[in-house]
Amino acid sequence: MHSGGNASSLPLVGGAPEPTINQLSKPGRRASRFPKLDVPVTEINNSAIRHDKPTLPEVSEHDLVMHYSRLAHRNFAVDVGFYPLGSCTMKYNPRFADYVAGLNTFANSHPATPSAFTQGNLEVLYELENYLIEITGMDNATFQPPAGASGELTGLLIIKKYLDENNLSNKKDIIVPDSAHGTNPASAKMAGFNVVEVSTDIRGMVNIDDLKGLVNENTAGLMLTNPNTGGLFEENITEISNIIHENGGLVYYDGANLNAIVGVCRPGDMGFDIVHSNLHKTFATPHGGGGPGSGPVAVKSFLKEYLPGPIVNKTNDKYDWYMPKLSIGRMHGYHGNFLVALRALVYMKLLGKEGLDSLGSYAVLNARYLSSIISKVIPLAYNEPCMHEFVATVKDLKKSHKIKAYDVGKALLDKGFHSPTIYFPLIIDEALMFEPTETQTVDTLDDLAETLKVIIDELQGDDVSLESYPKNLPVGRPNELIPAKHLTVNWGDFELLELTE
Amino acid sequence: MFVPHSEIDLKKMFEELSISSLDDLFTHIPETLKLNDGLNVPPSLSELESISEFELLESKNTQNLICFAGGGHYDVYLPQTVKSLTMRPEFMTSYTPYQAEISQGILQVLFEYQSLICDLTDMELANASLYDGATSVAEAISVAINKTKRDNVVISSGFNPNTKEVVNTLIDNNKFNINYVDLVDYLFPEDYVFSEEDAAFVISLPHYEGSAQDLTSIVQNAKAAGVITICYADPSMLGILKSPGSMGFDIVVSEGQSMGSSLSFGGPTVGWFATRKELARLVPGRIIGESRDSNNTKTYVMTLRAREQDIRREKASSNICTNQTLNAVGSTIHLSWLGPQGLYEIGYQAIQKASYMKQALMNNGFNILNNSTSLREFLIQTKRSSEDIILEMGDKGFLAGIKYSDNEILVAVTEKRTKEQIDNYVQSLMEVDNA
Repeated sequence: MHSGGNASSLPLVGGAPEPTINQLSKPGRRASRFPKLDVPVTEINNSAIRHDKPTLPEVSEHDLVMHYSRLAHRNFAVDVGFYPLGSCTMKYNPRFADYVAGLNTFANSHPATPSAFTQGNLEVLYELENYLIEITGMDNATFQPPAGASGELTGLLIIKKYLDENNLSNKKDIIVPDSAHGTNPASAKMAGFNVVEVSTDIRGMVNIDDLKGLVNENTAGLMLTNPNTGGLFEENITEISNIIHENGGLVYYDGANLNAIVGVCRPGDMGFDIVHSNLHKTFATPHGGGGPGSGPVAVKSFLKEYLPGPIVNKTNDKYDWYMPKLSIGRMHGYHGNFLVALRALVYMKLLGKEGLDSLGSYAVLNARYLSSIISKVIPLAYNEPCMHEFVATVKDLKKSHKIKAYDVGKALLDKGFHSPTIYFPLIIDEALMFEPTETQTVDTLDDLAETLKVIIDELQGDDVSLESYPKNLPVGRPNELIPAKHLTVNWGDFELLELTE
Repeated sequence: MFVPHSEIDLKKMFEELSISSLDDLFTHIPETLKLNDGLNVPPSLSELESISEFELLESKNTQNLICFAGGGHYDVYLPQTVKSLTMRPEFMTSYTPYQAEISQGILQVLFEYQSLICDLTDMELANASLYDGATSVAEAISVAINKTKRDNVVISSGFNPNTKEVVNTLIDNNKFNINYVDLVDYLFPEDYVFSEEDAAFVISLPHYEGSAQDLTSIVQNAKAAGVITICYADPSMLGILKSPGSMGFDIVVSEGQSMGSSLSFGGPTVGWFATRKELARLVPGRIIGESRDSNNTKTYVMTLRAREQDIRREKASSNICTNQTLNAVGSTIHLSWLGPQGLYEIGYQAIQKASYMKQALMNNGFNILNNSTSLREFLIQTKRSSEDIILEMGDKGFLAGIKYSDNEILVAVTEKRTKEQIDNYVQSLMEVDNA
């Protein structure tokens, strides 16, 4: 195995646990220095002023740097190894975007700076809007939502306001597939809708007959990702959109899986009215250990005036903010995650037409290839051509050897790979969901399949203790029960008791 | 671009799949949906070409405005140490730490983040971040509504108007009443009477206008009526202000930008959220806890997961999934770099410099509307339109502040401002306002 995934060289170091920054603290040490006060001192009289110092660690700058660098060494990342993590699109994040995002006024503009002084920033958002609406087949976009879930909520609030404006407030049902991401039903509930689940058919697609039975005068809309969470293209998408539209509902595209179709086909052409994109997935901005993301929402023109704002308008080569007339309001204190949007623009410009036209194709090629070689090790959940991701299942191994998806994921960690997404979608038993993205080499994909084979063979051995995996990492399998019962969530060592769910 | 395959690689992959072109991957997609001519976007640029393109774009912003604007986002000095550690690729390019064994780095930093915020605010439990200050206020109100099952929200009017708009968007106006209480002389009325229908009392420390007051007795009154009390605190002032916990608050939220994030045109920043243990199960977002592994080694994990959307779906405490972890990492490292003395100095120097500036402005005939109660941020009354003044001050190299009304500007001072910058500002403002 000689791939860039480097399955044979473990990236993480172990050793004794790293103390907390608080344990490194000694009275009187400090890293910070400030210039001497250059104005005359006045007495401050205010009842809110404290008369003691705040509680914070006291450490030297070198200790601080060593501590956080050592912690970095205990963390897996895209720059360290391969994440075949379904639904998360963990592709390479171009380093050049770091440079651009660090340029002076991009990084350091105060958000309340008038548009006359931030023409460059507004142009960034305007240009990115143009790329996004072209890629998704929509007409207008907002960058207010700071993440995908916020984008979903934005879309649902737009549906709600649109229905209210058209005197259709009776429409309260949002239809969500039983395979959907958890954010879909959570967002629908937050927006005040009822969640109605539509089932998945035997091929892994929306059950059209079930859908027809669920749709009625109360249908507000449908949330769907295409390809769906099983990695399959919903071939009847046009019919699905028509069913919802004929009943006066709107169709919402969850952009979690947009990477599969960039340059291949567009949600706007499939009948979707509202689309959110995850810039931190499809457009290669770093995940940051869980965020920041950015979840811009694009709509067809008839919904433009409902967008959260302000959005960017261009007139006579000048950019300005515009608050849509029927706007649902604001989803963020200022302009959403601007620097994430900027990084996405960098990625789009580097890819350009050549790169964007073939983006989905290569993402699908890698997934299809990986599914083909992995299917020789563990069976796939569906006998259909996958798009950018696919689901395999170890339900047979669970029956024969008690090997669960969780065990396979944990054993993979030992070999230098991140686990695939496990137990999702919820409708597939012992699911392992793989998404390689287009930036991994064929060698790395081969490595993963070979490693899986090695692991599966090993785990079926006679004296194997499944719980002992992973064995070669800074820590072993955590006891998930301790914090739920005696919750230690800060170094004050306080215990939160009586937390029985 | 970034696709690694050589012709040899492609040949191997095509053979495995028995296809002869990329198009063969999509025979199952209806022809009518396919993009035949591809996307209408400009051609690809090399990194070398795009450097000049992006530097040109950046140069269209007015350069080097000296920042006197605040309103939640402050031009606090962000040390190189904090920037470079936060941007370590092991943190920056990692995924959410669901796999604890290979994520101890991020998990421990987030545990430290939660702990630092608890220490600083005198709270017991913090989450691992929310989107920003404004959305954190709305999430906190949701917690209060869920806890009390009441319909009324009492919120001080002393908030950034954008924050109010976010609250109005995220809290359903058809179900809940949002009552804004006006400040009196820029302070919240001490004798405000709370009702037993009130779910939440929300107030900013300091108020948006820059004035501050001890909120202990107001919080006591609210809690006596069973109201959940929420403090929106400016983190860069917590080194010099009484902690929200010591004033009795139930929930503390913050716009965390000034701790660890550059101004970033408002995003990405981070929303802090901390509370007391009684409210643990209603907390939105991720929480990191300390556990043990199979060898009894200290191990950090994501915990109380049953609140979250991926498990609880429509019954989740919030729909939040992706948060602002990297900015929380920034807050952690910045707070540790500052230490107690550094955080104190940021607040102390800002207030001292603001006092000097207010005096200089008053000496030159300006009226400061909240001189006696304001700390590092205050309102200047102007003769001319505040909008025009801000634009003309821009031409003189200053971001003069935020328009508060037609003749009032909200001005913020941080420890970064020098006496010389303040003197020049005052001089320029005189010229502009008297023009």
